[in-house]
Amino acid sequence: MSSEPIERRVSYLGDRLKASKCQICGKEYFEIRDYCSNCGRKSYMRMSSVDLFNDKGKLELCTLVTEPTNKFTKLDSFVYGIVSFHGGKIRVPGRLTDQIIKPDQEVDLSALEGREVIPRFRRRYTVNKSDVVPTISLAFSLADEYYPHQEYLVSEQNKEYKLPGIVGYGVYTSRFRIKEGGIERAVPFTDEDSITAAVEAGKTALIHAGIDSANVGKVYVGSESNPYAVKPIASKVAQVLKLGEEDGDVQGVDAVDTEFACKAATSMLKDAAALVSYPGSGIRNAMVIGADNSQAAPRGCPGGELDLFVGYGGAAFVLGKHDVIAEIEGWYSVTSDTPDFWRRDGEPYPMHGGRFTGDPAYFKHVRKSVTKLMEKMNLKPHDVNYFVPHQPNPAFPVKVAKELGFRDEQYTCSLQVNKFGNTYSGCSPVGLAAVLDLAQPDEQILLASYGSGAGSDAYLLRTTSQLLDKRKRQKISVKSLTENPFAQFVDYTTYRRLKQGM
Amino acid sequence: MQNCPAIVAVGRTKFGEHYGKEPEKLIEEAWLAASQSCGLERKDLEACYMSDCFLPITNKLGLEEGFLSELTELHVPMEVTRSVSAALLTACHAIRAGVYSTVLVGGIEKMTDRWDKIRDDLMLLEDPWSYYAGCTPESNHELMLRAYTKKYGITGENLEKLNIALAQVAVKNHANATKNEYAQFQRKITLEQVLSARKAARKSLGLYDFAPISDGASALILTSSEKARKLTDKPVQICGVTSATDYLNYPAREDLTRFLATKIAMEKATEMAKVKLSDIEILQLYDQSTFAEMVSLEDLGFCEQGTAWRSIYDSCQDYKGYYEVNGRKLFTNLNGGLKADGNPLGATGGAQLFEIFKQLRGEAGNRQAITDKEPRFGCSLEFEGFGTKSYVSILGRN
Repeated sequence: MSSEPIERRVSYLGDRLKASKCQICGKEYFEIRDYCSNCGRKSYMRMSSVDLFNDKGKLELCTLVTEPTNKFTKLDSFVYGIVSFHGGKIRVPGRLTDQIIKPDQEVDLSALEGREVIPRFRRRYTVNKSDVVPTISLAFSLADEYYPHQEYLVSEQNKEYKLPGIVGYGVYTSRFRIKEGGIERAVPFTDEDSITAAVEAGKTALIHAGIDSANVGKVYVGSESNPYAVKPIASKVAQVLKLGEEDGDVQGVDAVDTEFACKAATSMLKDAAALVSYPGSGIRNAMVIGADNSQAAPRGCPGGELDLFVGYGGAAFVLGKHDVIAEIEGWYSVTSDTPDFWRRDGEPYPMHGGRFTGDPAYFKHVRKSVTKLMEKMNLKPHDVNYFVPHQPNPAFPVKVAKELGFRDEQYTCSLQVNKFGNTYSGCSPVGLAAVLDLAQPDEQILLASYGSGAGSDAYLLRTTSQLLDKRKRQKISVKSLTENPFAQFVDYTTYRRLKQGM
Repeated sequence: MQNCPAIVAVGRTKFGEHYGKEPEKLIEEAWLAASQSCGLERKDLEACYMSDCFLPITNKLGLEEGFLSELTELHVPMEVTRSVSAALLTACHAIRAGVYSTVLVGGIEKMTDRWDKIRDDLMLLEDPWSYYAGCTPESNHELMLRAYTKKYGITGENLEKLNIALAQVAVKNHANATKNEYAQFQRKITLEQVLSARKAARKSLGLYDFAPISDGASALILTSSEKARKLTDKPVQICGVTSATDYLNYPAREDLTRFLATKIAMEKATEMAKVKLSDIEILQLYDQSTFAEMVSLEDLGFCEQGTAWRSIYDSCQDYKGYYEVNGRKLFTNLNGGLKADGNPLGATGGAQLFEIFKQLRGEAGNRQAITDKEPRFGCSLEFEGFGTKSYVSILGRN
């Protein structure tokens, strides 16, 4: 779409699937309406707004598209159809996403019709490289497959904790995987990118936290694969997730993108914690998201070594002082100007410093931040229950954990690089989510991120009893994603094609 | 009837690809053919109603009226609509109101100039939201076909018959077009070709089930009845012309199994024309797809809902040149329909009226309907979009 105002209107309505309902006759519309066409003027000011973003629909009718229109050709063949909500009161057009249909594959349309589907926030179609990235939630996935439906229920926040901490979290990765050299890595579907992953993780985090999205006063999105050089992902996240107080089409929230290679997100956990603790901020909750569609040059090209490890996905954390599941007890950050990994503006793929990415880069900084934090908190490695190191590949985290004196059982469960691949800004956050998924109350977690360039943030967290209460709300967890029977493995050619995106 | 509008002459170009011709050359050709056949001069025209669906997009031409003015050296009122039926409707209102007595109605489209982007254009015009979700111009037809077979519980052997009936619509239209010198595809196709194209597409409708993209123009001269008698012995009256509208967004429509707008328009048109369905023998349907031709027989009221496929299937077992519906003959798309005659959107309606005009005057040559008596009434159905607008025109000879 070449017109910015049209793009804005379409995504404003379509990203969230905004709908209206007449309070007099009950008729529903997929769009924002000031009055009902059935009831006319008397319904003016009596239309309630609903949106279908967290809803579940039904695929009423469908057909196969084998020759898409120009902007959809990168999807190859796909299923297109009509999706109904609220027992047929609203019907919208939609396509099934997360499905690879082979050129000779017969699709049983009857078997798809009648199935429940979930709207997914995705890229809409292909545009020129210089255009705004169009998005929409008229892409749907089957509710009984990879991605289950989760209800968004807001619960009252009761207990105030002394220390700020994590109130809820969410993790996201795509349905597709590539398995090479003993490790599995997540591959985004064609219509996914770092923006869609950030929104997905944030959506799941809100559901887990059970807080009203209006309470989120600030959102930080850390990523190094933003499709834009200039334009925040965070603005999209804030708008789609309705963060902060909604006022017309503007959200009362501060939203900002952060960048420091792989520690862009973890760096902000302390800022978010400080913000919700500062009495004058008036901010009850803040959200930190780390999400990446990790980039790598094709194998054989300079920088192509990264192609063996790059993944896709991310994690989001809601921070606050009420109903905390893990309090942040302390932190320590280190920084030095070490150019071990970089991507120049305009370049599609990053470069790295070869063997220097280990020492003096990764190992030196992680060792330093962890040692300093343990000194500060007066801890020895065996005092903490879990150690979550940054995990750019399977070898580094194990080596650093051993060097620091941690035992296997303290860090093994946090290692997800074998399942997700290196999710860059989402990497250590996903590791933390994996530990939160199985930790018990009153356990200590030591998180150490690493960002090239270079720096490391170490955090000490202590879980609370609410961890177990909130766990029940989660259908989507690290385990549900990594051990999902509907995950689909693809070959190298398909992986590169999917990774190219729309 | 006072000031009843009548067509006195028609003209058209061949439909298909006109690579070397500018759009205005096409309308010139159509207009000249029409004017020559009734001996009318351009200075006799009091107004022009032109249609083109998306010339501004395909040819970056805006204000088409200006081109027409240059072409005709006329400075009379000229208006542009999106379909010939819409132009005809407006022209008829003007003649009935006594404002004009002689007007030119024409249509033009040049789709092949933008063949690589045309399906995106078509779909965006049809419905942006469906386009955003990945819809193609073909998808909605396939969805409606599925909704139709589900609603009427058509399965097994019956479904097979329905599929064959739809294939026969295409076979029949191609056969008809072999007798139409203006048609885009003047060649026969076989049932097997239609079926194997569907198989290749892995879908219920394939390449041969859909109308092509085309270039072309059509024109007709519309006058008051009084004037018509001076120009020709055999004027064809516009007895009824009307339209109805439905949502742009097909999924949101009330009934997914048919085109409601057609039903409403036909009821109004027959009332206006004071004709019974049984009086109509010549039918020009808007077969964007073979399914659209079939379901339109129901929407117009000729067949009961859920049964048109049976009538088509039975008629085509031993095809005699018409569909036999409830014991009556319906000569349908004798020019080959959109499928074989071609579908240059803004000009298509003119070709439909051209055909009815020729048939009612007994001037259709070797494709003339073999009716028991001289045919009195013909009916044309034209869409804008996917049934978003439905135009019905009933033409007759008194």
